[in-house]
Amino acid sequence: MENSSDDYRIQALDQDTQTLLKTALKDPSSVNLEKVSNIIMDQSLKDQVFSKEAGRICYTIVQAEAKQSNGSAFRRNLLNRLQQEFKDREETRERSLQEWVCYVTFICNVFDYLKVNNMPMVALVHPVFDCLMRLAQPDALMNEEEVDCLVLQLHRIGEQLEKMNVQRMDELFFLLRDGFLLQEGLTSMARLLLLEILEFRAGGWLLSGTAHKYYYSEIAD
Amino acid sequence: MSDWKRENRHEADDREHGNRSHSASRWSHCRKRGVDGSLRTKRDTENSEKGHNNYKPDNRHDSFTTPEGAGPVSRCGRQTDWGSQVEEEEQLRKNVHRDMQRRRILGGDATQRERRASSGSSESCDSREGDNIETDEEVLLRRQKQINYGKNTLAYDRYIKEVPKHMRQPGVHPKTPNKFRKYSRRSWDQQIKLWKVKLHAWDPPAEEGGPEKTLEDRDELGLDDVMDIELDFPSLPNTQNVPVLLSTNNPSLEDDDCMGTPVKLQKTETPAAPDMS
Repeated sequence: MENSSDDYRIQALDQDTQTLLKTALKDPSSVNLEKVSNIIMDQSLKDQVFSKEAGRICYTIVQAEAKQSNGSAFRRNLLNRLQQEFKDREETRERSLQEWVCYVTFICNVFDYLKVNNMPMVALVHPVFDCLMRLAQPDALMNEEEVDCLVLQLHRIGEQLEKMNVQRMDELFFLLRDGFLLQEGLTSMARLLLLEILEFRAGGWLLSGTAHKYYYSEIAD
Repeated sequence: MSDWKRENRHEADDREHGNRSHSASRWSHCRKRGVDGSLRTKRDTENSEKGHNNYKPDNRHDSFTTPEGAGPVSRCGRQTDWGSQVEEEEQLRKNVHRDMQRRRILGGDATQRERRASSGSSESCDSREGDNIETDEEVLLRRQKQINYGKNTLAYDRYIKEVPKHMRQPGVHPKTPNKFRKYSRRSWDQQIKLWKVKLHAWDPPAEEGGPEKTLEDRDELGLDDVMDIELDFPSLPNTQNVPVLLSTNNPSLEDDDCMGTPVKLQKTETPAAPDMS
């Protein structure tokens, strides 16, 4: 089933690239899949909107390649790029918070969409946790964009991630509690985000009706 | 698939706080394949210092397993690039599924009746077979991984070359535990441990930078390597001993460890068993 290009948020890319991607979706063996995966990776690091849903286009291409030629070149290259970037994540973070946040968003999105035999990829579990743990460190909690990224990912993949490794999720949430309680200098927004995610997980990855009202309703005047 | 041969093996960048540094297990030089049977061409004996998934931090032998195994990532990543890891994972799962399918088909009524005629086990019973089969996929995956660890050794290769099936004597020659049988976790882990210990009798003589034999003629993942087709009847469910299983005539299976002729039937070479229930 073909999604419109809107679904993949590729509008920010130039026309040629868009065409390349669209071709990759329909006829993967006719394009250089390694190049395609690099394009997607690179764009994800720059474009936050793109990175939030890039997993989807990746999944479609993986499926298409598997169906057409039983190959996995795209997936392999994508994963290896992800791994490369993962190794350099600390430098990336120092150089550009934005890029770091985009990376985390992307890798989590890939974790979400790219399932193998309908299961999340085990190989990504620890790296994803590592990223989230990094976001939960004291220095990161001071940056709203990092906190925001952290809670977004937990909303999206927290439950799945926990199933794969409860211990690490527990570890992460120890950090979040500590952060909430002890971290000085947190903005009120950061504290709000943390409180909400704490409640969210405590509710079984679901916000109760009243909590939802509290956090998400417009405040009546 | 030439993809399975990898040039380098780097250490897994698995935890944020550095490698789980284990020293090599004593037999790491005998490891020749990834966990799902894919061949490795190079063994980094230098790297074996830095870590080997089989070696437990508390210095236990790698065949010592406990019910509380390590988490999913640590046990299965032989190749350390994510692309390969995911492919191995996928292949392992596919293989287990295929095993399960074969099991379902080959373990069906018709074939069982025939085999029963030739085996003479009074325990065998179609309805009982159903109860005694392990069907939980996660369990099968885990067991298959453990089996693969054991088969991923030069000792194993030497063993199957040296001792053809019909020469195997139960008790003396190691037999791959049957992953489709119901066993308690502890029982299973114990069987694996004993099996691997027995296999060590065929270890290659330990030389420095030991001969890393790769089987050129087995480029692809042979069906036999990874999948144990257990065409036998369950005897006692929770036995601590490696069970003695019944024979089938299936010469195409290179490794049917669980198909030795039971001792008591060895004298009677004919298919028809002396007494049948």
